[in-house]
Amino acid sequence: MGTLAAFFILSAVTLIPAVVVVTSKNIVRSALALVPTFFGITGLYILLRAEFVAGIQVLIYAGAITVLILFVIMLTEGGTGIRIRQVNEQVPVGALASAVLAALLIWVFLRTPWPQGPGALPEYTAAQIGTTLLSSMVLVFEVTSLVLLISLIGAIIIARRER
Amino acid sequence: MPIPIEDLWSLVPEFWLAALGLLLVLLDLFLPGDRKRLVGWAAVVGLLLVLMPILGMLGTPARTVFFNTYAVDGFAVFFKIIAVVATILVILSTMDALRGHTSFEGEMYVLLTFAALGVCLMAASADLILLALSIEFVSLSSYVMAGYFKSDLRSNEAGIKYFLFGAASSAVMIYGFSILYGLTGETNLYAIADRVRTAPQPALVLAVGMALAGLGFKVSMVPFHQWTPDVYEGAPTPVAAFLAVASKAAGFAALVRFLMVAIEPGPVDWVAPIAGLSAVSMTLGNLLALPQRNIKRMLAYSSISHAGFLLMGVAAHRGDFGAPGLLIYLLAYTFTNLGAFFVAIAVGGRLGSDEIPSYAGLAQRSAGLAAVMALFMLSLTGIPPTGGFLGKFYIFGAAVNNGLLWLAVVAVINSVVALYYYVNVIRVMYLLPAPSGGSASGPVPLRLALGVAALGTLVIGIFPQPFVTLVGAAAMLLRM
Amino acid sequence: MITVVLVAAVKSVALVVMVLLGFAYATLLERRLLARFQLRYGPNRTGPFGLLQPFADGIKLIFKESFMPATADRLIYWLAPAISMVAALFVYAVIPIGPEIRFFGATVSLYIADVNVGILLVLGASSIGVYGVILGGWSSNNKYALLGCLRSSAQLISYELAIGLAVVSVVLTAGSLSLVDIVNAQQRLWFVALQPVGFLLFFIGALAETNRAPFDLPEAEQELIAGFHTEYGGFKFAMFYVGEYVGIITMSLLVTTLFLGGWHGPLLPGPHWVAVKTFAFMCLFIWIRATMPRVRHDQLMAFGWKVLVPLGLLNVVATAVIVALVGG
Repeated sequence: MGTLAAFFILSAVTLIPAVVVVTSKNIVRSALALVPTFFGITGLYILLRAEFVAGIQVLIYAGAITVLILFVIMLTEGGTGIRIRQVNEQVPVGALASAVLAALLIWVFLRTPWPQGPGALPEYTAAQIGTTLLSSMVLVFEVTSLVLLISLIGAIIIARRER
Repeated sequence: MPIPIEDLWSLVPEFWLAALGLLLVLLDLFLPGDRKRLVGWAAVVGLLLVLMPILGMLGTPARTVFFNTYAVDGFAVFFKIIAVVATILVILSTMDALRGHTSFEGEMYVLLTFAALGVCLMAASADLILLALSIEFVSLSSYVMAGYFKSDLRSNEAGIKYFLFGAASSAVMIYGFSILYGLTGETNLYAIADRVRTAPQPALVLAVGMALAGLGFKVSMVPFHQWTPDVYEGAPTPVAAFLAVASKAAGFAALVRFLMVAIEPGPVDWVAPIAGLSAVSMTLGNLLALPQRNIKRMLAYSSISHAGFLLMGVAAHRGDFGAPGLLIYLLAYTFTNLGAFFVAIAVGGRLGSDEIPSYAGLAQRSAGLAAVMALFMLSLTGIPPTGGFLGKFYIFGAAVNNGLLWLAVVAVINSVVALYYYVNVIRVMYLLPAPSGGSASGPVPLRLALGVAALGTLVIGIFPQPFVTLVGAAAMLLRM
Repeated sequence: MITVVLVAAVKSVALVVMVLLGFAYATLLERRLLARFQLRYGPNRTGPFGLLQPFADGIKLIFKESFMPATADRLIYWLAPAISMVAALFVYAVIPIGPEIRFFGATVSLYIADVNVGILLVLGASSIGVYGVILGGWSSNNKYALLGCLRSSAQLISYELAIGLAVVSVVLTAGSLSLVDIVNAQQRLWFVALQPVGFLLFFIGALAETNRAPFDLPEAEQELIAGFHTEYGGFKFAMFYVGEYVGIITMSLLVTTLFLGGWHGPLLPGPHWVAVKTFAFMCLFIWIRATMPRVRHDQLMAFGWKVLVPLGLLNVVATAVIVALVGG
């Protein structure tokens, strides 16, 4: 019961600012609204007893990525001053499409008898995540580093000035 | 759990490509501004060398390595060959296409090399996480390449548009993967195959559908095709060629492996929807290609319709023709479509225009260029003795074999429609008079690339036997 | 259940009061020590030795007019100092100041929560503190404030990386992310001996994280008036001030916890040792401020990215290799 209540509260904390992100006319507030969203997700992780992922979520998403987004907005010429419209005249169509999609997803999820594994929660420690990353997921781990490298190179290419 | 040393050996091509990419970054750093061409040549040499370990793996038995996350089989090897060959040709064609548009040349070769690595990873991923990651790998480098000309608004538009569509479709696909994980408790494709029979129904269909959204975006399947013409038109032409060939091939590799390994044993009927999407893709692509005046837009719509034909091969996967047909079609399509784009690079570089009317009288200006373009157009239509014919032949046969007669009929009608706009290019080149004099042949590396593409197109059509053997082996090994 | 909540609440209140008192006297300590370094007296008229000076300052700030620039972004302008202060105080939930003690017959641990990812929370909270700076600077709609906040956040993000790498090497050495475990791992030998490079990295990073000289560019008076809090006055300014000085205490406490063995020490009981070590480091902070000239911004960024980060990475690799060879 307590878990369910916590889940609903955290979902609200996640979703309401998320709506602000995509609707606010002030782009700084949009970026800022990401922070409570990330915190809500952090809460969901804690609810799932994934403390390490939760800590990383705060450190990386709430702490670094959003700050960088704000940073980019502030360094962009005219980035902070202007009032922008995030939506165009197709709002009703988009709203309808997302409502239909949401209804479909909910309908499907409610009708599906989800498989539930027996047994207790695994002992979810940072050490175990580390072991997994360097054994069964080692290839994924290494490819991730390459993906980050290519993102860095790409970002520099996009950001530099054409002589 | 230590990693077996044999596993490392079977990843030699990937290690080589990664090392090559890093080496090129350093080379680009230390070479003076007017010698950046060397980076391109180094990339070509490196990629040619990597073909050796790849070809050496042709006969090895199919297995998975790295704790079942990575597949080593003929199917993957086939796509690695396509990726590397296509990247070599694209790099050759890039060497002069960048001049005058950007002062940065070396990074393009780096990105292309890394993109080739991404394509190899996509073709061999046997794990949903690795699959999603390698798709992102290819996408991220493609976004940057599409928007490479910073002073060109169209290129900027291409980059942004590709990025927005790609990010959205990736998000949907990864959501689908996560549902699939929730249903089966596994991320490994082969482990999913064991569990998928008993997976609960409605959500499984949803998961497969969502995964198709992301993969369909990569191959420009119809509901997810809108980005194609704008991106191909705006992106630098060599990049468009890469997207049309290597990126699409990788998308098909991932799609086929995902559907045939993980989903095939399950209760979801995916053949009918794929067949339907195939019919819609080829029809819509063809109809929209008809009124195009820009060669790159025309090729973009034609690539949508070719995605339809290829999907037909996916739908008709049962029997002896489906998977081999798909692979041989892709092989022929690789050479043919690359060639068509290379002609567009040559003409665009000389005339500064990608409009089809400016191809008027190309036969008088540059007989060779016009001749190979005619060859590529015929091959795209599927007229013998070109490679395109062989691919179409196999795929139509597979459709009939699988009881998809209606789809085969739709495909034949579409081929006839396609004839109109492909032959129109030939008509313009040969029958209309040239507005002004001057020859229009490309620089040496581009001509080299064109020659290889033309040769490939012809050889596949005339001596198909070795290629049929190759794809037969590749398709046989797929299902372990 | 009720008892647990009550104990935690009492501990939290006690800690917050203690930290705020610490903050108040940190300001006094800084002013008096700085004066000593400059051969002055410093504030010594309010109460004996000027001991009531912080309270006088506090009362003054509370009763100041609450002023706000006309073009400021209201919500964010009010939110920024609060974020700054809360983030600074939040860290104390996981920093241990002593082992368990007997208190009225009950065993009470001298930390609020022994989270098994404690150090991540500390880093996370300090990264949230950046928002106070960046939002305060942006929302006041003043170019000096904006420049200050951009400088500051660039600096914070860069040096957070160095700190993170230093912490990773400590975590590798201790084999745990929990701060209590890290302290216990130093029972025999302090990590400052095992991780000298990590200690240096952490200390330099801590100076930059707290915007202290020689890294106090975000509030370089000569060029930026007062940096990101130029437009703040009264109690809102005080909240930023709390954030900054609590940050100094936090960093001193963290150095103590991660490198100087926390509460371990001869003779004195645990908390005393923590206090002594922390106090020593705070004095060091002030000493450095009185001694070192300010660096230029590009020098600061270059030093962070080209020296500290590579050094930190090397240190992590070396530590990992040694740990694998020795402990495995």
